Amino acid sequence: MTLTRRNVLAGASALAASSTLPFAARANDPLGVGFVLIGPVGDFGWSTMHDVGRRRMEEVLGDAVTTTQVEAVAPPDFDRVVNTLARAGNRLIFTTSFSYFQPTLRMAEQFPDVMFENATGTSTRDNLAIYNARFYEGRYVQGVIAAMKSQTKQIGYVASFPVPEVIHAINTVMRGAWSVDPEMRIRVVWVNAWFNPGVEADAARALVDQGCDVLCQHTDSPAPLQLADERGIHGFGQASDMTRFAPNAHLTSSINNWGDYYAARAQAMIDGTWEPADTWGGLESGMFELAPFTNMTPEQASTAENVVAGLRDGSIDPFAGPIVNQAGEQVIAEGESLTDDQIRAMNFFYEGIDVSMPG
Amino acid sequence: MRLTLERRDSTGMAGLLLSPLLAVALTLASSIVVFWALGQDPWRALNVYFLMPVSDFWGVQEVAVKATPLVLIAVGLALCFRSGNWNIGAEGQFLIGAICGGGIAVWTHGWGGPWVLPLMLVAGMVGGALYGLIPAILKTRLRVNEILVSLMLVYVADLLLDWLVRGPWRDPFGFNMPQTITFAPEATLPILFDGGRMNLGTVITLVVVAVATVVMARTLKGFEIKLVGEAPRAARFAGFDDKRLTLTVFAVSGALAGLAGVMEAAGTVRQLLPGFSPGYGFTAIIVAFLGRLNPVGCLIAGVFIAITFIGGENAQIILRLPRDMTLVFQGMLLFYILACDTLILYRPRLVPRRAPA
Repeated sequence: MTLTRRNVLAGASALAASSTLPFAARANDPLGVGFVLIGPVGDFGWSTMHDVGRRRMEEVLGDAVTTTQVEAVAPPDFDRVVNTLARAGNRLIFTTSFSYFQPTLRMAEQFPDVMFENATGTSTRDNLAIYNARFYEGRYVQGVIAAMKSQTKQIGYVASFPVPEVIHAINTVMRGAWSVDPEMRIRVVWVNAWFNPGVEADAARALVDQGCDVLCQHTDSPAPLQLADERGIHGFGQASDMTRFAPNAHLTSSINNWGDYYAARAQAMIDGTWEPADTWGGLESGMFELAPFTNMTPEQASTAENVVAGLRDGSIDPFAGPIVNQAGEQVIAEGESLTDDQIRAMNFFYEGIDVSMPG
Repeated sequence: MRLTLERRDSTGMAGLLLSPLLAVALTLASSIVVFWALGQDPWRALNVYFLMPVSDFWGVQEVAVKATPLVLIAVGLALCFRSGNWNIGAEGQFLIGAICGGGIAVWTHGWGGPWVLPLMLVAGMVGGALYGLIPAILKTRLRVNEILVSLMLVYVADLLLDWLVRGPWRDPFGFNMPQTITFAPEATLPILFDGGRMNLGTVITLVVVAVATVVMARTLKGFEIKLVGEAPRAARFAGFDDKRLTLTVFAVSGALAGLAGVMEAAGTVRQLLPGFSPGYGFTAIIVAFLGRLNPVGCLIAGVFIAITFIGGENAQIILRLPRDMTLVFQGMLLFYILACDTLILYRPRLVPRRAPA
């Protein structure tokens, strides 16, 4: 894999490598790497895929690392868990949820000699890196496929929380759908959970009853996709390849792939080249990929492949202007493009998306 | 032949005290087998589980942080359960306490003074007490089952918290994440020792345990609570008003759960967010029974449960055992307590199968 931004940073940090020698000096001991997970390892989604990433890192680095994982850590317990991990000799700690971002800032200050990495965080410190994948690229592909598959011209979206990550995903699904058919519309149900199979299925049912015939989900369980299968419509899987849960409904899934990133970061620690990077990798980086396209004609699949290629080489930019919000105000003009910070803080829906912000 | 259980004529105090100890011993014995089956050195595993959490002062403080809400809620529940009132909704009263106190922290953010913290604690207690009174009033006025009402009110409190932190109380700079601002220093319980997390809440809890012990052992109210629970008819003949007592114990246990909630918000978490409680209100039910519905017993049981919880985290970190092991562990403990209690109150007997009529 090639992470362009990291390579640049690695080059820059080679100059500073002499100052980080204390870590290199410890090279004979295995590097202790800790993981704090927000959910149980068996959620089939977010936490499962971080666990898969951790095991991939062990595979790549072998005896050079020992890893430790703590599951389902509630906010009041976070400080103690990180404290114990640090005391047990872990030098690199991944905290894998945005819910841990504030507490991780706090702990990074308390343990200046431990390097932290927060998934989906929004700013870095001397010993705190952040990492995320550009999942929105997958959402754009989903929009394109949904517009090709839908008869009713309505996409249903099972959404978790109105955080920028979900808001820009909804906007991007529609951007992709409109590139095929400007008549496409979307309906959203907020389930207020990342993982709650019962509620997710209820939301999916309501969306199908309202006429949606392609379901997108921003929650982790296979329940919405299974419901799509049951009702004879189509849907997309989340976080891992969910083909097996819905053989007749599944179109594609975005598959999180943290392993190579984890291995590269641990290797950087061992080499003494770790830097508090801000990594946001797209399809090109391999930080996530799309499961094989299923339940579509070869023509539809090849259209989708072309879109993937366009996203990879940058000829398709999901955040290119002009962008107009629901109030009819232009956010950026033609020829410009949203910056990463603007995308990360996105708090509005595009014109033509008939969804109101909850709360 | 078949096995039946017969009630024993009398059970001594020794038996009641012995039962939880026996249960703990059996849990330890079984866990040695489980550790051994998992390929772990049992002694090392037990050491990680039970000794490591209390092996230094920082660890002891962490146990105190974890035990404080459990003990405080359990003491209130013990009073309730002793009088035969089944408050299963302490989790809801805990959350309402956190909401009432936390609401003041959010409201006064940026212009509060030293009066904020006392006001928060009082608001948490009042909120918890009023919320606890709902099932009590429905029970005394309309004879509605208090177990169901108090349990279902947990979900109401849960959803109320959820709505507040997503809507009106959401942190304006929190990237739309469902959480409030981090409380200002004047809305936070003072930490007792530098470098640890133990706060004033632990001291308050110890005071509550002492007061509850005196009330139960030395006052008329304590006698009334025990009498109504053990012999309601006799209590009525003696002129005690059991309806008023129901209201009192629900209000007291609600107030203590609410206090635990606001202290957890102001002391440990320092903001409100969904998933704020890892089920303290429910775990406290276990603590109350494990502690024989006695305030000092609740203190011991709360500390014990806190140690097993932190030990479970340590086992994940040091032994790399899965979290499920901790859950198995707690499950075994409960199973053995129920089994020991049953066998102490009842005698198993083999009786010849009756001839078919």
